[in-house]
Amino acid sequence: MAEIVAAALASHAPLITGKPEIARPEQRERLYAGFHEMRRRLAAARPDLLVMFVNDHLQNFPYSNLPAFCIGVVDAYDAPSPGGSKLMRIPPRKLRGAPRWSMALLEAGLAAGFDFAYSYEIDSWDELAVPLLPTLSRCHEVGAFVGRFARSHAGASRVAFVATGGISHWVGTPETGRINPEWDHWVIDHIERGDVEPLLRLTWEQIERDGGNGGQEIRNWVALMGAVPGAKGEALAYEPVPEWITGCGTMWVHA
Amino acid sequence: MDHGLRHDVGARVINVSYPLNKILTALAKAHVTRDRLSDAELAGHDLGEAEKTALLTGDIRRLYDLGANPYLIRRVFRPRFPI
Repeated sequence: MAEIVAAALASHAPLITGKPEIARPEQRERLYAGFHEMRRRLAAARPDLLVMFVNDHLQNFPYSNLPAFCIGVVDAYDAPSPGGSKLMRIPPRKLRGAPRWSMALLEAGLAAGFDFAYSYEIDSWDELAVPLLPTLSRCHEVGAFVGRFARSHAGASRVAFVATGGISHWVGTPETGRINPEWDHWVIDHIERGDVEPLLRLTWEQIERDGGNGGQEIRNWVALMGAVPGAKGEALAYEPVPEWITGCGTMWVHA
Repeated sequence: MDHGLRHDVGARVINVSYPLNKILTALAKAHVTRDRLSDAELAGHDLGEAEKTALLTGDIRRLYDLGANPYLIRRVFRPRFPI
């Protein structure tokens, strides 16, 4: 049995750390303050397992094989890898995985009808993003399953969930650089109220229109909200940073 | 749901060119950034004429319309983007 001790949401634009100097200082400092507060709360929660909801960025899965959901069963994660380290100006490092817990999640998921893929190699650095096709409702269901599993499995006692991605950003499209703060606030407001149902009804087309191709990453946030049913969020910071071409947000979720 | 923000943008559900994404993925993994690709870089890839032209001219809008992943477009043709 485990306790869910923390849950947090954050954007993951690589330029946040890769080129901090190009952002307006006041925006950068407000956003950094949000990240620092998130780190403080996560550390204070003393998790013994961190479960991440993230999307691949084509560094792990090529167009010849794109799983909808994949569980990493990895001994040590590159976070970031040497390639990502240059982009994000974060030293390359290895983070210890929890392969036994992950394998148990995989087996339980398959038994419960979630057709997860799995991988013994995960390279985590952020620059490219695959098209994310599962519905938001399905992402929420997967997150709910992960939450139930985390609470019931004996392999960890204090579990924290973190999801990254979003909020609105257009990357590589003809609208590159566009940010939609109105939509970002709409997403944040619903998470603050714990009212995720309207998010689950969003279609790919609606997100593409209002949140951009990068906005599709809110699937990760929705999955996390599924893992902590009934929880309400708290916005720690939000800044639409044109220099980082991203509506950047950090949120704490009171699990 | 309609946020009333951009009524004129019609999104494509699936418009993917596997040949384009295959070559762009390979270039991205090799950390190649270009203003335009060369004939030599296209050699051995099964590309249509429109795809070849877009790659050889670095036409990022055309690549998008042809179904290249926009993140890969940005990764490889980064010099084409003003920001």
